[in-house]
Amino acid sequence: MRLLNALTLIILLTYKAMCGHECVAIASDNRLGINQQQTTAIDFQKIFQIHPRLFLAMSGLASDMHTLKATFEFKHKLYELRENRVMEPKTFASVVSTTLYEKRFGPYYVEPVIAGLDKASKPYITGMDLIGAAAPTENFVVAGNNSESLFGVCESMYKENLEPEELFEVISQCLLSGSGRDCLSGWGGTVYVITKDGVEVKSVKGRMD
Amino acid sequence: MQDPDAFDLGGFEFSASSHNAKEGGFTSKLATKTGTTISGVIYADGVVLGADTRSTNGETVADKNCEKIHYIAPNIYCCGAGTAADTEAVTGTYYVYFSIFQLILILKGMVSSALFLHRKSTLRESRVVSAQSILKSHLFKYQGHVGAALVLGGFDIHGPQLFTVYPHGSSDCLPYATMGSGSLAAMSIFESDYKDGMSEDEAKLLVARSIRAGIFNDLGSGSNIDLCVLSRAGTKYLRNFEIPQERTYIRAEGYKFKTGTTVINKRNFQTATSTTTEPKKIL
Amino acid sequence: METYDAVGENNFNPSSYHGNHTKQHATWSPYDNNGGTVMAVAGEDYVICAADTRMSTGYSIMTRQYTKVDEMSPKTLMASAGFMADAATLKKLLKGRCDQYQFANNKPIGCVAFAQMLSNTLYMRRFFPYYAFNIVAGLDAEGKGAVFTYDAVGSYERTNYSCQGSGQQLIMPVLDNQLKTVSPLVLPAVSSATPLSEEEAIDLIKDCFATAGERDIYTGDAVELFVMNKDGIRKETMPLKTD
Repeated sequence: MRLLNALTLIILLTYKAMCGHECVAIASDNRLGINQQQTTAIDFQKIFQIHPRLFLAMSGLASDMHTLKATFEFKHKLYELRENRVMEPKTFASVVSTTLYEKRFGPYYVEPVIAGLDKASKPYITGMDLIGAAAPTENFVVAGNNSESLFGVCESMYKENLEPEELFEVISQCLLSGSGRDCLSGWGGTVYVITKDGVEVKSVKGRMD
Repeated sequence: MQDPDAFDLGGFEFSASSHNAKEGGFTSKLATKTGTTISGVIYADGVVLGADTRSTNGETVADKNCEKIHYIAPNIYCCGAGTAADTEAVTGTYYVYFSIFQLILILKGMVSSALFLHRKSTLRESRVVSAQSILKSHLFKYQGHVGAALVLGGFDIHGPQLFTVYPHGSSDCLPYATMGSGSLAAMSIFESDYKDGMSEDEAKLLVARSIRAGIFNDLGSGSNIDLCVLSRAGTKYLRNFEIPQERTYIRAEGYKFKTGTTVINKRNFQTATSTTTEPKKIL
Repeated sequence: METYDAVGENNFNPSSYHGNHTKQHATWSPYDNNGGTVMAVAGEDYVICAADTRMSTGYSIMTRQYTKVDEMSPKTLMASAGFMADAATLKKLLKGRCDQYQFANNKPIGCVAFAQMLSNTLYMRRFFPYYAFNIVAGLDAEGKGAVFTYDAVGSYERTNYSCQGSGQQLIMPVLDNQLKTVSPLVLPAVSSATPLSEEEAIDLIKDCFATAGERDIYTGDAVELFVMNKDGIRKETMPLKTD
């Protein structure tokens, strides 16, 4: 692991409200490091928009992240041209999983996380390991360098039936607290809250060290 | 790296493996391995398969309620232990959804796809031995590197069948079987209480009890019990058949954050459009 | 790790076939990790020290009722995670020292003095350390809650809250989020004690252990809370998941 390394973290939460106003949030920190210790970028985006209601976030090796981002954008565009519709999150997760498993014995060094709303505006989130073992869940997924801390904060602070604004506060606090004890993450974060009306993006302030 | 002409790569891509090895090796260190309890038993009219639902990543639980009983064919299911990605890729998953005009079936996984095509060409029900032989020849070819340890069960024209398949490609045909890190705990239940010709309810309770032994005595296994009953009458997939324990405490105070707790630098709202992604930088 | 890994394809060692017995012991270690999580929170006039009661090795549970918190003196509690044989030996040694202190000074040892003694004891084994991760909790001379947190070789620090052991990474950020206060170094001095009341702190600790029990395989079975205030020491037990 002496290559360029993006040591990052991503967390996300879904929200299923009784009133049918459903949303997903996805967040990541902004740091990119090299050789573990040295900070090389403080505005490094790890969350990519595949289509208006579908996001792919990755942590791991920066070069593999970019290669995969290009691959998946290409695959999604072909699908859109052929089918004249965008991919369902579940279908996209399947594409990501098989693409990663193709390289079972020489894997891409990334941990992807997929979040989106499907055609019926139902939230879908899934995490994956580097060879594509998908684990779709109904509450939260974490990935990255400091996943244990993130598991801890999310497991404690996640609640069902949060309003989008509350969800934003919870996911941001999870992100900032979860990266507070990790010297390889930080420099603020980017949070996306996806509802059926659109996507709210916020850049949040965090420790700059 | 293997020479592509000398060896059938079976769908895998090896181009980065030598490069990765040179860089100090990322190999499959981060791959999720499921410390697992899976088991199966044959009863009078069929087979019962069982699994716990914990998936671990080292000493942390990566998923508290994952599915370890995989679809192979309508009459065949398979429990998987070992490397999560391998068990999923080797066996199968499927889901169905409605498009505007037609019903779309998404089928993933080696054996389930192979048997699906075989059924369409022969117009006959799949047999458990077909699944078993495809699995073991694949696993043998990869010398244990495809890390899937399986309990395969099904009901076909020969009646109920139960197999275990090991990662190196060997297999057993048994009346009761266990696999995974909790296999000894589960086997202790079978060895003391298995009998021939049990009823469906007896078999379900015995399998559930064997999984519970794994859940409570093996740290790699935990959470809930999934069962799958395969018989002449059809297949019953009993997801979360038993939830032995719930979280014991939830904070009375709760965690509440007032709006404005988090300091925001910049914000933007992108209104929903139906198709096509145009805006590249939304912040 | 799976069962088949235990007989692993990579462990094959041809030299052991030819009676080379020295090689066989190459993998033996004097240390084990028995897991477990310990935690302490200090308030203005109380301190709470808590630990789960599971002791395990590898993938198996050795016992579900092992107390990791000990009363070293009337004002001092000590909790250890890590290698329990080392932790037990260390506590036995320290208890002896506490008795000697009592005989020499005709009063029980205070928690601040005890904290320094533990640090010295750990550093004495700098090159063959006690593999134990300790927390000392107590009331100081002014009756304020105090928590001392250690590494394996005796580096220590007085804090308001701390967590050690297998669930440390899960719990610590939650405590940071809920309990972080002004730095004790700031001038003019502001109280840096935990803002929560005793009941609120107990509530938070129980929730943290429930969280760790969900996600950490080595934390579970039960949690014991030792609450120390001016009235003395009280013990509470709460069950956790046993899977």
